[in-house]
Amino acid sequence: MDFALTEEQLMFKDQVLKFARREIVPRVQEHDLNAEFDRESWKRLGEFGILGLHFPEELGGSGADVITSVLAAEALGEAGVDGGLTLSYGAHTYLCADTIFSHGTDAQRWKYIPKLASGQWIGCMGLTEPGAGSDVASIRTHARRSGDQWVLNGSKMFITNGAIADVAVIYAKTDPSAGHSGISAFIVEKGTPGFSVSRSLHKMGVRTSPTSELAFQDCAVPAENLLGSEGNGFLMAMQTVEWDRSALLAPFIGAVSFLIQRCSRYAKDREQFGRPIAYFQAVRHKLADMKIFLEAARSLVYRIAWCKDKGRPLNHLEAAIAKLFVGDWSLGPTNDAMILHGGYGYCHEYDMERVFRDGRLAPIGGGTSDVQKVLISRLM
Amino acid sequence: MNFDWTDQDRAIKTRLNNVFHQTAREELDRMEEADLPELKTMTTGVLRNLAPTGYLRVGFGPGARSETMHLVAAQEETARMSGSLFLAVEVTARIFAGLLRGFGNSSRISQIVESLENGNLIGAVAVTEPSEQGEGQRPATEAWPDGSYYVISGRKDFVTNGPIADYLAILANIDGRPAFCLVEQGIPGLIMGPRMKTLGYRGVAVSSLQLNEVRVHKDLVMGPFEDRSALVFVCLTQDMVLTMASVGLMERTIVEAKQYSVRHQRGGKPIFAHQEIRFKLAEMLTLYQTAQLLSFRAAWMYSISDPEAETLIHCAKVFAAEASEKVAGMAMQIMAGRAYVMGNIMELAYRDAKYAALAGTTSEIARMAIADDLLRRYS
Repeated sequence: MDFALTEEQLMFKDQVLKFARREIVPRVQEHDLNAEFDRESWKRLGEFGILGLHFPEELGGSGADVITSVLAAEALGEAGVDGGLTLSYGAHTYLCADTIFSHGTDAQRWKYIPKLASGQWIGCMGLTEPGAGSDVASIRTHARRSGDQWVLNGSKMFITNGAIADVAVIYAKTDPSAGHSGISAFIVEKGTPGFSVSRSLHKMGVRTSPTSELAFQDCAVPAENLLGSEGNGFLMAMQTVEWDRSALLAPFIGAVSFLIQRCSRYAKDREQFGRPIAYFQAVRHKLADMKIFLEAARSLVYRIAWCKDKGRPLNHLEAAIAKLFVGDWSLGPTNDAMILHGGYGYCHEYDMERVFRDGRLAPIGGGTSDVQKVLISRLM
Repeated sequence: MNFDWTDQDRAIKTRLNNVFHQTAREELDRMEEADLPELKTMTTGVLRNLAPTGYLRVGFGPGARSETMHLVAAQEETARMSGSLFLAVEVTARIFAGLLRGFGNSSRISQIVESLENGNLIGAVAVTEPSEQGEGQRPATEAWPDGSYYVISGRKDFVTNGPIADYLAILANIDGRPAFCLVEQGIPGLIMGPRMKTLGYRGVAVSSLQLNEVRVHKDLVMGPFEDRSALVFVCLTQDMVLTMASVGLMERTIVEAKQYSVRHQRGGKPIFAHQEIRFKLAEMLTLYQTAQLLSFRAAWMYSISDPEAETLIHCAKVFAAEASEKVAGMAMQIMAGRAYVMGNIMELAYRDAKYAALAGTTSEIARMAIADDLLRRYS
């Protein structure tokens, strides 16, 4: 075993950290307050190359490995980038673009990946429905073949980037009698007749990431927009889960690094009873717990990234364990950070309440903690 | 980055498994009830069986950079077999022998190290004193020169392996500087207290001791040291041993709880089929794997002298110790009444689990040290 990161990986993480602090963080609080997507930050993420890190250079990416991608996502969180922007980035790059890259034809790759990697286009992925979450087989959206088209009908719920996406990867039943094997994936572009955003959802956290319900009413897409082979959609969705539980978890652990740095400085500056509050053991206890969580979670997330770099497809146990741990155990540190700041922590100016709200998504999104326990106990 | 064991790591794991395969589980469990002569015989027997595997020669930390990960790979195997055995062996092979290897420089000490590596000796390290010293304070036990000898007087508490050790390394204060003096069992002036009755790890012999002007030849004295590196080595090694003990405890507890939950039926199906049980097991496995990885990373950071290594070791120890208490509690709950019966593996684990949080660097002191490091780092 060897936990060393390469010099290149460490340098890149540092570059992302500096870039994010300089180019993104100054706008974070305002956009969170207004619950609006930050297009300027998105553009800069694209220019820096973060949105297409792991894609080949010829498709507009940087050819980075998964560990580097995870480090970049962690660095964004550590810089203080809000969970909304990192969620939009995750849904765009991993749930949408990577699915097209991994399962699409050359024509689909060349058509979409350069635009997605640069940030010129925004992507989303539609799997969850009003009546189907982790129970993927029960989705009702269906696609019917009609000549050289597929006609989609149904709706999708909790779709990150749904309202702003230029392209969506949509999962639908093509054989309702075949269970998991009857699900296929389709590329649906914005403006396709019958495809609309039925409503936008207001959320507790990750507020800069637009979340929507999507509607499909006789939405016809060309036959060549089928992604991968017919009936292979469930397996494709399961592969994206590996990203969901590695690169998408990384900003959460980065956010705890951000909290530790902020809390340490605050504890030294803030005086009560004639001395800095860092003097009090209760404050130091909270700082220590944040650090213990951070290091524990880091090992788990890096392990999934390493598994993925090694091309090991069956790492769902490790992924579920990382998701469960980051989801449930991160609640303590984000809560402690807010309490450590007292009244200031409850106010928007100090970032703590935003990180607290953003962090609530960790045990919910991408499969709740209970679902992870089902998976772990099934696989153990 | 590599999360796989190397061929060398796997080789030592296999050698250890072969040793334990030949040792009946009941025999290891019998340690919990053994009296001192039996315990000495059993511990020596296991040490001699372990010697050919190379386990007793593997070091830990910056002085053993290439070996540290072999060691944690191997420790996993030993720790999951028996907590008591693991502590007795590790105090001898890692803390006591590591101290001698790293800080001893006489031929007599080299001979003792050779005997230790062959499994012929049991060692103990005596640091804690009845009048508790704070961090950075001098031990009250003092040694002073007398010709070719040092004369030591003082008292020590909670000495693991104390009553069965052939040699004890005593932390003493020589002219205001720390030193470790090697004292042979039975030497005049060494009075071993009665074996302590403990909540857990009952297969480990622990006692206090008193030194009344014990004479130790200078060849058997390590130090006095100008810095605290020897003491830091003992503390960090002890913390890693306790961390790995917690990891091992969790592993054997989860295996037992899972097997029981599949065998035992309620409502016409195995209790594993009920979410109240399987969710506990999922949480237990999550805690175990998280503690395991964090411990491995902490050991690795120590081996490369990473500036954050000491903090990571503290993080790993606090997490693993507290996780093992939770896991043992949940395992007992899964097995219910059977686990509450004395001698049951869950009952044993439940009692053992408490130890790691209060031994070595306590969780409270570790947390303060972690926070102090953060406060230094971020200004």
